[in-house]
Amino acid sequence: MARPSDALASETLAINGEGDARAMDGVLDLRSIELARKSLEAWLKPGKSRKLDLGKLSGLDTTGALFLCELRDRKVELTHASNEHSQFLELIGGLERKPLPTLEKMPRWREMIVELGKGVDAVGHEAYDVTVFIARALNALLRALVQPSLLRPAAISKQILEIGIKALPIVGVMAIMISIVIGYQGLVQLRPYGGDDFMINLVAVSMLREMGVLITAIMVAGRSGSAFAAEIGVMKSREEIDALEVMGLGAMELLVVPRLIAIMIALPLLTFFADLMGLLGGGILANAVLDISPMPYLDRLHLAVDRSDLLVGLIKAPIFAFCIGAVGCMHGLRVGGSAESVGRETTRAVVKAIFIVIILDALFSVLFERLGL
Amino acid sequence: MTARKRPASPPILSASGIVNRFGKQVVHDKIDLDVRAGEILGIAGGSGSGKSVLLKTLTGLRRPNSGKVSLDGNPIESLSATQKAALIGVLFQQGALFSSLTVAQNVMLPMREHTNLPVVEQERLAAVKIELAGLPADTALKFPSELSGGMVKRAALARALALDPRILFLDEPTSDLDSLTASGIDELIVRLNQGLGITVVVVTHDLNTLLGICDRVAMLVDKKISVDTVDKLKRSTQPWIHELLHSDRAQGALFARKASHGIG
Repeated sequence: MARPSDALASETLAINGEGDARAMDGVLDLRSIELARKSLEAWLKPGKSRKLDLGKLSGLDTTGALFLCELRDRKVELTHASNEHSQFLELIGGLERKPLPTLEKMPRWREMIVELGKGVDAVGHEAYDVTVFIARALNALLRALVQPSLLRPAAISKQILEIGIKALPIVGVMAIMISIVIGYQGLVQLRPYGGDDFMINLVAVSMLREMGVLITAIMVAGRSGSAFAAEIGVMKSREEIDALEVMGLGAMELLVVPRLIAIMIALPLLTFFADLMGLLGGGILANAVLDISPMPYLDRLHLAVDRSDLLVGLIKAPIFAFCIGAVGCMHGLRVGGSAESVGRETTRAVVKAIFIVIILDALFSVLFERLGL
Repeated sequence: MTARKRPASPPILSASGIVNRFGKQVVHDKIDLDVRAGEILGIAGGSGSGKSVLLKTLTGLRRPNSGKVSLDGNPIESLSATQKAALIGVLFQQGALFSSLTVAQNVMLPMREHTNLPVVEQERLAAVKIELAGLPADTALKFPSELSGGMVKRAALARALALDPRILFLDEPTSDLDSLTASGIDELIVRLNQGLGITVVVVTHDLNTLLGICDRVAMLVDKKISVDTVDKLKRSTQPWIHELLHSDRAQGALFARKASHGIG
């Protein structure tokens, strides 16, 4: 915003007189307070009795009244104040006028150490919370699976629509784009060795084993993990969760379990779809750059990948899905009373879900390598 | 508290021929309303009668479909943001305190943006406004989420007073408050009106506020408005107004007014 100059810049105060007696003429308010303060500063120093005539003062606001009260405290006699003004001065003078309290400042180095300590403590609590929640969610989930009458097919299918079907276009486009990126980068590296057509292997293996599931999981964390946190968070902040509790319905069974089941069904399917689209992207690239037509491309694919590559990717999907769903629901349930905490928890849910997905993916890579898959 | 008799002073805010409609639904049909300098004007009406829309129109937040609002003699659209900020202060129903700022920072925000006062002066002023609104000094460092309902209203009032506005608009200042806290707010409104000479326009459901502290009351009924003192409105033949002012609750509120004012 531009600093306004029109209305509040005009100074309409004059201070007349010499020696111990001065008179104010005009308006003493926000605009003229600086002027008044400056011109009376020197006058205030000597310790004699001084008088200030307010007879011609036409306007006064809180700022001005506060200043006049300060003068009065410093033994300046205020004379000829109009009725209205003296009433005003009385109101302001009657206040305690304490200065704003200030927070005690810690030395910078101490502050940093305290922050560090708090951070470490928070990470500890966080890890504990995540573990406990995942265990509780798993418990509720298994109970629902053992006792299928507890399942809520309507809620689950609605969630699958939201998480899975509505995400198809974006996941498909992303998979094609990523496969093209990988293909091109690989092509540049492989060409000097005459291995152009190994680009097909590169795209197929990396899509099926890693990229397909990873980008789908990140997309779903962004789309649905955040939605879980926000939906449940809003319900929490409006006491709807408490209302459920009072009616003897648990949020875990009613809200968390259907979402977890839905995301664990939808994410593997989405991953499979992303794998197909990635291979399609590879095919398009092969056709365009290497002049390999679709049928030879499919033959080549058979040689490049086998079933284990597909399964290595797909096996990770439900585990990622469970983590994304659980983290989203957990943060939703952690929302406090205010609207801003919904936003904060939603952000945290997405960040943490993506973080966990990537960590787990790294662990899986090591594991599969050890297992020789 | 004493009853105040004021000569009819010139209007500081005047609205004429206000028409507000949403689609085909007409909320206000050619309403005229003058707010006199120095008075406390109550605006009342049933749910959905357009009280809040009228408040938005009067503060220039909503441009009426037709009609004019003038503030201190100038059309409200022609005032610059700074002029408007210096003329009107608004207390919103939920307080609308900025949640990322402390109470003191909330109060200092309009000063920082609209004046060239040094920070020391701003802090001194903010402390006085916060005290004037009846909050203990340590509230200044608290964030809005740490305040109770009544304290939020008081803090929001302190912010509305930041630039010493000539008119203070209050939207349901006592809603959601217990009756003791509510009467504390009522007293505060009267104190600000008398001590600082601020004109107050208060939209309210609260019969205690309407009958207890308002000099005049504007009743919004059937898209029209009738403005008068409570005593005269009691003689109104309009069924809604009659029923409202002769209900058991109104009798209680009037009794309280008589008890504290000594007169009816």
